[in-house]
Amino acid sequence: MDVKTEDHAQLEQVTEEDARQLTKSAGRKFLGIATLIAFTVLLYMALVFAPEDAAQGPAQRIFYIHVPSAWIGFLGFFVVFVASIAFLATRKRRWDDIASASASIGVVFTTGVLITGPLWGRPVWGVYWTWDPRLTSFLMLWLIYVSYLVLRGYVPEPERRARYSAVLGIVGFLDVPIVYLSVRWWRSEHPLQLVFQRGGLPSQMLLSLFVGLAAFTLLYAYLMSVKLRVGRLSDRAEEFEEEVAR
Amino acid sequence: MGSLPELGIRLRGVSKAFGSQFALSRIDLDVQQGSYVAIMGANGAGKSTLLKIISGLAVPTKGTVTIAGIEMRKAGPKLRALVGVVGHESMLYLDLTARENLMFHARLFGVREPREAVEIAAERLAVRRSLDRPVRVLSRGTKQRVSLARALLHDPAVILLDEPYTGLDEAAALSLSSLLEDLNTPERVLMVTLHDVARAISGPQRLVVLSAGRIVLDTPTHERSEDVADTYLELLKAEARR
Amino acid sequence: MTWMTPAATIAAKDLRLEIKTRDVVASVGLFVLLVVVTASFAFPTTGDGREGVAAGVLWMAFLFAALLGMGRSMALEKEEGCLEGLIVSPAPREAIFLGKLFANLGFTFVVELLILPVFVVLLGLQVGTMALLVLATLLGTLGLATVGTLFSAMAVNTRGREAILPLLVMPVSVPVMIAAVKSTEAAFAGDWTSSTVSWLLLMVGYDALFLLVALATFPHLMEE
Repeated sequence: MDVKTEDHAQLEQVTEEDARQLTKSAGRKFLGIATLIAFTVLLYMALVFAPEDAAQGPAQRIFYIHVPSAWIGFLGFFVVFVASIAFLATRKRRWDDIASASASIGVVFTTGVLITGPLWGRPVWGVYWTWDPRLTSFLMLWLIYVSYLVLRGYVPEPERRARYSAVLGIVGFLDVPIVYLSVRWWRSEHPLQLVFQRGGLPSQMLLSLFVGLAAFTLLYAYLMSVKLRVGRLSDRAEEFEEEVAR
Repeated sequence: MGSLPELGIRLRGVSKAFGSQFALSRIDLDVQQGSYVAIMGANGAGKSTLLKIISGLAVPTKGTVTIAGIEMRKAGPKLRALVGVVGHESMLYLDLTARENLMFHARLFGVREPREAVEIAAERLAVRRSLDRPVRVLSRGTKQRVSLARALLHDPAVILLDEPYTGLDEAAALSLSSLLEDLNTPERVLMVTLHDVARAISGPQRLVVLSAGRIVLDTPTHERSEDVADTYLELLKAEARR
Repeated sequence: MTWMTPAATIAAKDLRLEIKTRDVVASVGLFVLLVVVTASFAFPTTGDGREGVAAGVLWMAFLFAALLGMGRSMALEKEEGCLEGLIVSPAPREAIFLGKLFANLGFTFVVELLILPVFVVLLGLQVGTMALLVLATLLGTLGLATVGTLFSAMAVNTRGREAILPLLVMPVSVPVMIAAVKSTEAAFAGDWTSSTVSWLLLMVGYDALFLLVALATFPHLMEE
């Protein structure tokens, strides 16, 4: 029928226009540049500006990547948590897109934590891994991220996938502090505990740390905006398809 | 159109999306009490989805479903008690006997005097002899009749059947047809999905045809039934051309 | 409470099914027994910390029992569209969850009850405080069953069927596993310490929190 082809042509037109509009986001470009600048500054501060730790030596500088990565790893899942609740409450696809984007970005940073942790630990304390409560909690967070992503891979149907991951996102996030608590209690019964001093950092180190946090947060925001751009296009196409149906 | 009598089904702007595919697109449908409706359409047209939305199995992406003036979203449990569903699968536990299955559903639906209700339903569906046998060993036809009994136990006001004639021989099909006609009383709503246009126009009073999630035909069947059949065949041909 | 009657009906149906087929208890029980026997070969017969190792092995066995049982229980609902039968019934979704939870708890407790004496005998243990052992087992199993029942409703609808259930449950159940193991260790050793009370309270908190979360989120899983 003729109406169908006409609709298709119109659909193509609209999608092209929208594509140009939506991908050409000035905001995203700004984020990208800001991230680049922040990381350049961080590089300088972490390697040159911040004083070397007397006890731990140069390896300690991994701290400026390790801690911000951990912060983003945690933030990432917090966003998954909020987006999951929002999705179940509103059932809007957008929230599911946000949750899945945040999960796939967050898992990368969490992996970073698990890699930089041992890289830091080995030269400084002689062991790759300790069952330190924080590191162990991050291992669990990583496992929860992975189970979230695997679940998404196992449910082909989008609506169902969104619902199921939302439930896992909520349960998983609420579990993380409990994991931390339980591992901390578990470890404190043993006298052997490796504590890294975080209190009383010299101001230069603190400043470098803050720059690190800022840089990583910008990176997260930038990556999210890139990932979500694609989602917006398909949403628009969907809306149009529905209008055609009327 | 005036207000719907006591028990009616009303769909307004109902869309159901699975990902980016719309199984149903902006469906508006009114089914009055006492109706016996046949729903037809190609595979994937949205027939099963339509029934699932009414039974509460599926939640509409957009739009509202109202039964007896109450929105499904607001009073699910109460409304579901009014509905009996026969789907593609039997909804019976294979390792329990027919009786145990029926008793379970009777209790679940809050039927008073479950034992009696089971006996009556079994009698009506001619499955009394099979009541104490495990469902696993029952023949396909008997299993379907037990499943029907399950759906009718609580004397539902709305009966939904999704392709109940599939796989039935002539005798069984005739028996089902006649049962459905008996069930078609002024207090009930019957909705059946089918593939056979002859069956659609002989029992049901109304034919609704779906195509790609939209209603393309909605007509009474009893007046000028040949015209209805012709119209339907035309629709099929048009679709085949696309 | 309007949830209890349908929940009880569903749990009773599961019990009836299990009595008829002895499906879950038999296969799960046997598997767990094998785990315990195998573990006993590697078990230290003397020395400090035996109780800790024993508690760890025991809870691994209990975890397997719970996972297998819950997976099977939900898989039964997938056959013949029985789960849809529950969804179209007037039973509130929360009641469906509770019904399956009670049934899963029941099966798992039965298996645990059978395994425990065998375990104690094979490993030559002494149970210092029976009450603590029972309490730890109850609280721990409730935690596993709550999360497991919720996730089994998802797992059963995925491509890998119930196979994904352990992956979903295990990370989330770490706190309750640690707490259960520590409490059980104390039970074997026979001393309640203040930390034991903390572990029990942790389990209570975990169970309560996730029971609420499960009740709130389960309805969203009961849709096409």
